[in-house]
Amino acid sequence: MPRSYNNNDSGEGGRGGPGGRRKFGKFAPKKPLQFPEEPLDYKNINYLIKFVAPTGKIVSRKRTGFSGQNQRLLAQAIKRARLLGLMPFVWRG
Amino acid sequence: MQRTQTYECMCLLDNREVKSGWQPLKDSVAAVFTKHGAEMLSARRWDERRLAYAIKGQQRGTYLLTYFKADTQQLTAIRRDLQFKEEVLRSLVLVCEDVPQHAFEPEAAFDVNAIPADDAPVMREAPPEPRDEEPVREPVPELDEEAKED
Repeated sequence: MPRSYNNNDSGEGGRGGPGGRRKFGKFAPKKPLQFPEEPLDYKNINYLIKFVAPTGKIVSRKRTGFSGQNQRLLAQAIKRARLLGLMPFVWRG
Repeated sequence: MQRTQTYECMCLLDNREVKSGWQPLKDSVAAVFTKHGAEMLSARRWDERRLAYAIKGQQRGTYLLTYFKADTQQLTAIRRDLQFKEEVLRSLVLVCEDVPQHAFEPEAAFDVNAIPADDAPVMREAPPEPRDEEPVREPVPELDEEAKED
């Protein structure tokens, strides 16, 4: 972790800022990894829709809780579904 | 070096062509694969649904899901032929390790007349381009007239 030379740094990796909770670092709480309940297939639209924001954007890994590998598989499946017209690129409203 | 691989291909077909005949259309799409020496394992209608966005003016389409074995060197030619086919709006060819069991089940009866009408908005024709009229030639003042006045 890079050293912070800024005296005004909240140090959220250290003492954890005003809330007192560390966001990263050795003593930060570890969120459990989520695993996909169904196969991440471009044909499985009903499941993929859960990971798409109201605007049509793919939800970030922070929200899905997936591992890096599963997040990439999710993004790949959604992009394939978009190409085939099964999912939109953009949702309005 | 020749190597055979199993592939999955999802094709989006034009409903106008589907309505004129499902089996002939399916056979013509399958012919694209067999033309390049592929072995067709399965070709089934996956779904007929409304598209998320209009593709080539079509709001609805029929999906054909096929599984086939082909030489890896022929894949480029197969993809190219699918692009050239006008009935195929979109296609996606992927490597498939395990062909699912339901792919080998007989296809359910499909009534082409039951396909809902495409409710795509009517495309207005662009107005005709205005013809360029010949520019009005402005009378060039004769220099001789000025000379005469002087």
